[in-house]
Amino acid sequence: MCLRKERERSLPCLCLVAAFGLFSVAARAQYRAKDTEWPSYAADMGGTRYRPLDQINASNFNDLEIAWRIKTDNFGDRPEYKLEGTPLMVNGVLYATAGSRRAVIALDPETGELLWIHGEHEGKRGGAAPRQLSGRGLAYWSDGVEERIFYVTPGFRLICLDAKTGSRVPSFGENGMVDLKLDDDQTISAWNNNGEWVPDLETGEIGIQSAPVVAKDTVIIGAAFREGMTPKSMRNNKGYVRGFDVRTGKRLWIFHTLPKKGELGYDTWEKGSAEYTGNTGVWTQITVDEQLGLVYLPVESPTSDFYGGHRPGNNLFGETLVCVDLKTGERKWHFQLVHHPLWDMDISSAPILADLTVDGKPVKAVAQPSKQGFLYLFDRVSGKPIWPIPEKPVEVGNVPGEWYAPTQPIPSKPPAYSRNGVAIDDLIDFTPAMRERAKEIVSKYHLGPVFTPPTVSKLEGPLGTLTMGTASGGTNWPGGSYDPETHMAYIYACNSCIEPIGLVEAPKEVSDIRYIAGAAGQPVQIMHGPGENAGADSAKPPKKRPASQYVRLDVDGLPLIKPPYGTITAINLDRGQIVWQIAHGETPDVVRNSELLKGMNIPRTGQETYNVGTLVTKTLVIAGEAQVTTTADHPRGAMLRAYDKATGKEVGAVYLPGPQSGSPMTYMIHGKQYIVVAVSGGPYSGEYIAYTLPSAGE
Amino acid sequence: MRKALFLSTLALLVSSFSLLRAQAPGETRSVWDGVYTEEQAKRGETAYSKECASCHGDMLTGGESAPPLTGGVFQANWNGLTLGDLFDRIRKTMPLSKPGRLTREQDTDVLAFLLSVNKFPAGKTELYRQSEMLKEIRFETKKPAAKN
Repeated sequence: MCLRKERERSLPCLCLVAAFGLFSVAARAQYRAKDTEWPSYAADMGGTRYRPLDQINASNFNDLEIAWRIKTDNFGDRPEYKLEGTPLMVNGVLYATAGSRRAVIALDPETGELLWIHGEHEGKRGGAAPRQLSGRGLAYWSDGVEERIFYVTPGFRLICLDAKTGSRVPSFGENGMVDLKLDDDQTISAWNNNGEWVPDLETGEIGIQSAPVVAKDTVIIGAAFREGMTPKSMRNNKGYVRGFDVRTGKRLWIFHTLPKKGELGYDTWEKGSAEYTGNTGVWTQITVDEQLGLVYLPVESPTSDFYGGHRPGNNLFGETLVCVDLKTGERKWHFQLVHHPLWDMDISSAPILADLTVDGKPVKAVAQPSKQGFLYLFDRVSGKPIWPIPEKPVEVGNVPGEWYAPTQPIPSKPPAYSRNGVAIDDLIDFTPAMRERAKEIVSKYHLGPVFTPPTVSKLEGPLGTLTMGTASGGTNWPGGSYDPETHMAYIYACNSCIEPIGLVEAPKEVSDIRYIAGAAGQPVQIMHGPGENAGADSAKPPKKRPASQYVRLDVDGLPLIKPPYGTITAINLDRGQIVWQIAHGETPDVVRNSELLKGMNIPRTGQETYNVGTLVTKTLVIAGEAQVTTTADHPRGAMLRAYDKATGKEVGAVYLPGPQSGSPMTYMIHGKQYIVVAVSGGPYSGEYIAYTLPSAGE
Repeated sequence: MRKALFLSTLALLVSSFSLLRAQAPGETRSVWDGVYTEEQAKRGETAYSKECASCHGDMLTGGESAPPLTGGVFQANWNGLTLGDLFDRIRKTMPLSKPGRLTREQDTDVLAFLLSVNKFPAGKTELYRQSEMLKEIRFETKKPAAKN
């Protein structure tokens, strides 16, 4: 009892400052980030992940060596194996979130020396958060004199720090903190033990793991929730987006991603379902055009990823790209990528701003990569598609109580850059026998192109719909990258991430939703993401089942889908054409070492993973591998690879001791270029590693 | 008193050493040498379903945010390391909501279950329950050639 009070009092509890005079900042004009810096999560507000640096290039990439490294084990009460951050480097200091505490660290960008660290102890509220661990990053702001760092804690508090010291800025919010569970046009609530939906700031489900965006003088924050495949209820908190004053923390605006009564889109929620449906947040990176004063919000799915029977209608603004005014949050335009979402096609990554020349005319465009492998392009002022995105009829399913949209918008250009359906031709074909075995396996599933709806899971078949380009397919949170000089986008995609979507009737004690994700013959379970309050959700008693019944969707241990498993695609946005596509990632051990494939010459396959981020420099596209391999050329580890951005040809690779788990970034300081990447996963705990070239004369 | 303590410590060390020798004679073993029992894997399945399946999936194929515990990616992650490394990872960080909540016995049982699902053969003795001892067992994806 006492402990809790002590913990609450300990906010903020960690603040170790060692500035070493680095911050003797003279008065200067309005701070403008240089292109040698990396001042925001995706390099700039436009989501490009581009810096025009060229000291590290094709001729010397293989010479890269480790400049410094920092393990994140001690930035929390346990090591973290899912370090997804991309640091910032601005005004001579590198900032990052790190560790299971989601601490903020400031480092010397040349040596990695720790300058300060800040952490918040949130007690039960942090422990109950839907999105824990270190998050993806933070935001920097300066008016030329003051410098501030913004980040959101796992427990959903917006913290404003003095970038020079790591201390909270007392004039912002309440002593440097804005409680994001308040002032949200809703009362954040949770189910109590009596099954009542009651206000609860401690365990009420809402949080965020992405980095805040600061545009001009507005801090913009979205919202995230638990994974939505098996929610306990059709009712949940809503993921509104808000803007806050960068100096005071005062709320400036809010955008209702689920419209309130009387607002545009409310009528797309039939039977009043907008009242109780939740989620529909913006959990990924938000993009801003500061010059136009426009914000681009990539909105996720509404409550219940795979069953929408309790929310009949098209469900605006679920899975919709929404453009709002930076100063007011007022909607300017929107385009719903998926009507009545049923496939977990959250818009999962930052929209990319691109100033194009289409048919000889200049166009200010916004390009949206997606899980479903389409790159959607719009005039970012008007919202009009650059190339037609016609509504096309799609299969209507037969899940009891479900509501189906008869058509979906399908871009005419550019072509899909990754697989977004499952056909027989996509199955493994190293040998005819393997193809036959794969056909046998998929015969238990419903197959079809993009937007083939889920089915009820039946033991006699179908077990579900076998999908690609859904929950974990295509492009996920790392997003794409873009070269503003050549108008080329470079986008990683999982090209083989299959997702069987079957539905089972949910027992009343598990969920009040009629159907949730599951498979016939298996116990119905609520699925959790990392760091959820797992203790509060007791699993159903397991049924006994022999281990031999645990089958994977594979063929003798080999992936069910044929290569390439993961790709990087270069797309010319002026023309809407794919210029090149390569398999990214070493052939997995299980394929390379397979006895069944002995003697066969199999080109590099890439890897089946959805979380690879790319970086674009003056001449290179750089991306690490998110899976480890052990080859004749390197011990167990992964490679950070560089490709000629004009051709896709690999020009160099450097060893990583574990998988790339956060997107790489680059900067230049005192005449040297650095690349920093987050590494973690499997047995390897979180670490930021900085690479640079040997100094002259070495 | 000090002498007694010394002697009892020595006795403990000697007996631990004897135990080690008894359980791992000669060369080190790998996961292909029948290092767990079917019974242990069955207990592990129960613990897995209760404590792990909600994140890692009923079929161990992982979730949106939790890695798979079977198949190529899982095996590549641990290939060349030891069961002690894998045990430490489970023990120190799992379950994520409260690391260390399970007993060493439960963690070892879960480990046995993972081995069974990944089709490493069962044997006649149960897995060790101490990290240092589990470090004697190599995790090798590839089945070694038969010994003479």
